[in-house]
Amino acid sequence: MENTSQVPVTVLTGFLGAGKTTLLNRILTEQHGRKYAVIVNEFGEQGIDNDLVVDADEEVFEMNNGCICCTVRGDLIRILSGLMKRADKLDAIIVETTGLADPAPVAQTFFVDQDVADRTKLDAIVTVADAVHLSSQLVDHHEAEEQIAFADVILLNKVELVEDNDIVKVNDRIRKINPFAKIIKTTRCDAPLDEIVGLNAFSLDRVLDIEPDFLESDHDHEHDDDVTSLSFVSDTPLDMDKFQDWFGNLLRTKGQDILRSKGILNFKGEEERYVFQGVHMLMDASPMGPWPKGKDRSSRVVFIGRDLDNMNLKEGFENCKSA
Amino acid sequence: MNADLEKLQESNKTELERRGSIFNIGAPATEAVTIRDQIAVGFGDGTVRFFQSGSDPKTVKAHKGVVLSMTNYEDHVLTGGDDGRFLKISSDGNIDEIFNFGSKWVDCVASHKDTKVCSSGKTVYIWTKNKDKPQTLEHQSTVAGLAFDNKGKRLAVSRYGGVTVWKLNNNKWTASNFTWKGSHGTVTFSPDTKYIVTAMQENQIHGWRINDKADLAMRGYPSKIKSFTWVGDTPYLVTSGSSDAVCWPFDGKEGPMGRKPIVVANGGKELATFVKALNGEKAVFTGFTDGSVLLAEIDESKKPIMIRSSTGSEVSTIAISSDNSQILIGDMKGSILLSSLWADN
Repeated sequence: MENTSQVPVTVLTGFLGAGKTTLLNRILTEQHGRKYAVIVNEFGEQGIDNDLVVDADEEVFEMNNGCICCTVRGDLIRILSGLMKRADKLDAIIVETTGLADPAPVAQTFFVDQDVADRTKLDAIVTVADAVHLSSQLVDHHEAEEQIAFADVILLNKVELVEDNDIVKVNDRIRKINPFAKIIKTTRCDAPLDEIVGLNAFSLDRVLDIEPDFLESDHDHEHDDDVTSLSFVSDTPLDMDKFQDWFGNLLRTKGQDILRSKGILNFKGEEERYVFQGVHMLMDASPMGPWPKGKDRSSRVVFIGRDLDNMNLKEGFENCKSA
Repeated sequence: MNADLEKLQESNKTELERRGSIFNIGAPATEAVTIRDQIAVGFGDGTVRFFQSGSDPKTVKAHKGVVLSMTNYEDHVLTGGDDGRFLKISSDGNIDEIFNFGSKWVDCVASHKDTKVCSSGKTVYIWTKNKDKPQTLEHQSTVAGLAFDNKGKRLAVSRYGGVTVWKLNNNKWTASNFTWKGSHGTVTFSPDTKYIVTAMQENQIHGWRINDKADLAMRGYPSKIKSFTWVGDTPYLVTSGSSDAVCWPFDGKEGPMGRKPIVVANGGKELATFVKALNGEKAVFTGFTDGSVLLAEIDESKKPIMIRSSTGSEVSTIAISSDNSQILIGDMKGSILLSSLWADN
């Protein structure tokens, strides 16, 4: 996924009424000097400043590849392959999803379809969240939880309508689901576009930047189907075979509940750092150069998902330590 | 460029490249069809260009964006674009807008005699002679392929979950569904109309014997199949998607069921991206990811002939003039080779 000629694709999610349309309008009307294609669902607006608006119906297709949770966006495969035949080069593509959409099929499309992966790359998943209503939406709609869980960037919008201590509460609630997304507080989605588009968040070398912002919390009052995150660190080098066995089996059997996973790994006898990131059962992994001198060679893994407490993740990870 | 390098490049050219003409259009060639002695090519800049031996191509500015689909229709071509327009275009540049779908793309087009067909989204639109209003056929998901049988009595529509075959009886279309899990793209009838075959989103093709809906799963490809073509009297369905042209025999009662395909035209580490039958012969042109094109007989003991050398850009279309005298090869960078197939031409 590191080819420079690949067009970056930003996926825009957000629950109904959060402010996605406001953001789309900004992207389409601001003088940004770039050429974007915006793939929308019944948006009804035309692009100005030479942007291209493409109408799409979300069509989620199951793949026959033995991966039970593997769904892709069929319409996206068709539209992206059409856009790649254009004579003029696009600077970026922005995909709007409907308010109730699960972001997984969009993200998985970039792992599964070779033509899409050759010519475009998933840049980042950006979620617009409504600071006023997010807390109740998270209780009532698992889609809202998934949109927070999948995000690389969260625009916490409409902060002007919320008291400061309530913003802290919403912020904490987001952090419990997703410890590594960048949270930007906005009024009318007024974040600079370069903090939304062109982030390269799915590039494997960006996994090295993860510094999960964890909150100390007790898990007692949570429901099993709440989305939470867990992170583990080890200063003892890991055994590569043991890790591959454990992690491969984990994604095969629990991949439906693990929404996202990321990690930097220090394997015994290996000079290079290994990084991986996954969406459900699909994973991208690669060596990523030697460890920086003078820094700890510690392995770090992060999981975001449902029912994580029942996967023996800590025990599994500990068992991967080399003897 | 120094003289030695130039000489070396010249010597690496194939016979067809030496005697043919090369045009650099600068936009991907998306589709090509033959109309009499001309070959019409659609491009990613929205133009349709009519190529003819011995003259410069005639350029028609047809669509605003990409020419997504094209077929021949009497002396014209029908095109569908990402500007939402379904057009009838003549080689002298006359454009007739049949319909404008606005911001929805026209993904597929088809024709039979005086019937014009296109799809946009989940709907197929059919214009028959002397009728202004189209008939519409609805589907459960976006239409990804259209094909008429050779009599124009049946129209196959591929989509997610299989193919709908519509049959025309007393001016009414009735549907028959052929189901197979997954997403189906380009679709074709076998020349004897006993089978329908689709290229799938997965790296495989799927077929059905029409009379009993028996399934044929043809798997084992390393990449998606973007192109297929019927070759010879057997006939063979020759497919792209592998390092060879993979040729499935459709003779006998069972067709390719339980049989191995013949593989010809090995491209080494390159994958085949486009295949085109040489009319009237048991031979196929195979274009590869690096732009090279081989001509091969459907016979594993015969050596293929190099028709076009590598250009570095994948072959996206090949067309042969109706009298079998000219070949046109186009790639994703917009380089076009037009050449006579035979030395004495």
